[in-house]
Amino acid sequence: MPLRLCTLRCACILLVILPQVAWAQERTGTKPGFVLPPRSATILLIRPTISVGAQSTGGMFEPDADWTAQARENIAAALTLAQTRLGNQVIVADEPVGPAAQVMAEYRALFSVLADSVMRYQFFAGNRLPSKKRKGQFDWTMGPGVAEVARGTRANYALFVSNQDQFGSTGRKFLQVFAAMAYVSVKSGEHTGMAGLVDLRTGDLVWLNADMAMGGDVRTPEGAKKRVAQLLEGFPGSAMPASQTVK
Amino acid sequence: MWPGQWRRAAAAVALLTGVAAHAEPIPSLPPYSGAYQPQGVDERGIWMEFDERERSFRDSTVVINDAPLKAYVMQVVCRTVGAARCQAVRPYIVRDTSLNASMAANGMMIVHTGLLLRARDEAELASILGHEFAHFELRHSLHGFRHDRTAGGIAAWASVAGAAAWAYGGRSAYDTVRVARSVQTSAIGSTYAHTRDQERQADLLSMAYLKASPYDPQRFPDIWDQLLDEKDATAHGRRQRSTRYDRAGFTDDHPSTIERTTTLRQLALAMNKPGEDGKERYDAALAPWRAAWLSDEIKRNDFAGTDFILRRMAGAQWSADLLFARGELYRARGHPRDLVAAAGFYREVIARDPTRAEAYRGLGLAQLRSRDAGGVAALRTYLTMKPAAQDAAMIATLIQ
Repeated sequence: MPLRLCTLRCACILLVILPQVAWAQERTGTKPGFVLPPRSATILLIRPTISVGAQSTGGMFEPDADWTAQARENIAAALTLAQTRLGNQVIVADEPVGPAAQVMAEYRALFSVLADSVMRYQFFAGNRLPSKKRKGQFDWTMGPGVAEVARGTRANYALFVSNQDQFGSTGRKFLQVFAAMAYVSVKSGEHTGMAGLVDLRTGDLVWLNADMAMGGDVRTPEGAKKRVAQLLEGFPGSAMPASQTVK
Repeated sequence: MWPGQWRRAAAAVALLTGVAAHAEPIPSLPPYSGAYQPQGVDERGIWMEFDERERSFRDSTVVINDAPLKAYVMQVVCRTVGAARCQAVRPYIVRDTSLNASMAANGMMIVHTGLLLRARDEAELASILGHEFAHFELRHSLHGFRHDRTAGGIAAWASVAGAAAWAYGGRSAYDTVRVARSVQTSAIGSTYAHTRDQERQADLLSMAYLKASPYDPQRFPDIWDQLLDEKDATAHGRRQRSTRYDRAGFTDDHPSTIERTTTLRQLALAMNKPGEDGKERYDAALAPWRAAWLSDEIKRNDFAGTDFILRRMAGAQWSADLLFARGELYRARGHPRDLVAAAGFYREVIARDPTRAEAYRGLGLAQLRSRDAGGVAALRTYLTMKPAAQDAAMIATLIQ
């Protein structure tokens, strides 16, 4: 069978049954007691998962190679700039080869599962697992084995970033207008992002920020700066005067 | 109308209704230029997404990264589609027990171990890999994406029209909603119909590759016949109805297997081309993997289906590894009669190959569960032969 990118069927069903999804009440979590003193950390940036494209009339994602390439460049630059302002050093992870590549792939996959679980079972207050109900609790870990991904670097934290942007196409916007006339709410465009910081010594997830409605056009350097500022909202150690962080 | 026009009109109607599918001839091979690069926003976007997925897929633990095995599969691709075309392919062998393979727009070819286990010879494997390559050469991911997008747009507009009729009422509101529903259903149905057509095209082009290759094209319908028999065995074992003669349903993304095998058999017979099946090469290349894949197959919890595969693989002569797999299958189901049968299989394995420690393990466990004290001796033999086995400590607790 030919592999498909995304199935239309989901898009159609979404259009019909999910006019408005009430998204997570909470967007960010920090491990209690965790502080990242400025100018102390070397952060390993794991290759961000970035995908930018358009949203078709029916709600299908249409990936765009050029936009994605621009976004990848802009976001990386904005991330480095934001962290340098905090005094932290950001090193971009090399693409590993051999057994190290397998380890990296496993931990990237594990992180996406972990982040997904945090969003589902922690950020949704009503859906919290019994073991995650204590007030102020944020107890998630990838295990100390994650240190393997930073072997040979001086990094003490790993930063995972993922981002998907679907810009509403003209057809989608028209549909939105006409649907509104028929009292149906149709969302045009979807901009989701997530960033998480993992302590490489213990493997603990010390901070996670997930936002299902982000601002900033990542295709431009200015927009990417705004997006990164939102992604890093509540980043440990960034609780400095707001004027110092990027806008 | 002139007679010629009539014929053309009839052909057009037949094409539209899909009647002509059986009569379609094998296409001639399209011209091919190497190192194809994606063109346009859609195709470049799709390739980018698959490139990104391939990055993580390449390093995934579900992929069997064995150089000789990969090289062998690549050789089969090259023998099937030709030395120039096969350069575009990067095969990934995935530990998955289903008979399947798939192809991404960018040349990433995924081959399941379930296919490698079930295909009886190289020609059968070649026909499936040719089919997958046809999806790549015909750019089916791209065309499917575009079709889905158009159909999605139509479905979305139809649902808005329906909602508007519902909201504003009026005399024809009911009719409008009904028409909108029907348009929506057709649009969604057309996406499945489109993938079924793509599968038919890929079958035809695969036949064209087989025609130009050293392989016997009869093996292509053979693998489908075999799949039908296996499904029947599974259905029988589960007390279910056979689906052999079912037509493709609304949401089926492949034509029915019976349609495919019938069409392909006609084409292969018409081609009447002798060819090799490459069985010796195939068996030699996959021999190191068979035991592991059989062990995966047994875990599918499909007793009758797996037993069918084992019996078919064995033919008239049961080899030691197939007998061992059969013993494991029977012991896993574990009815009292299965344990007796399993013990019999293990004994036969031991008679043929007394160095096989796992057969003693299976025999001992089957005997112990049948309250046969002889099992202790068999398990002791297992531990003496393999003192460092992973389950040594656990087995030791059984024989204290």
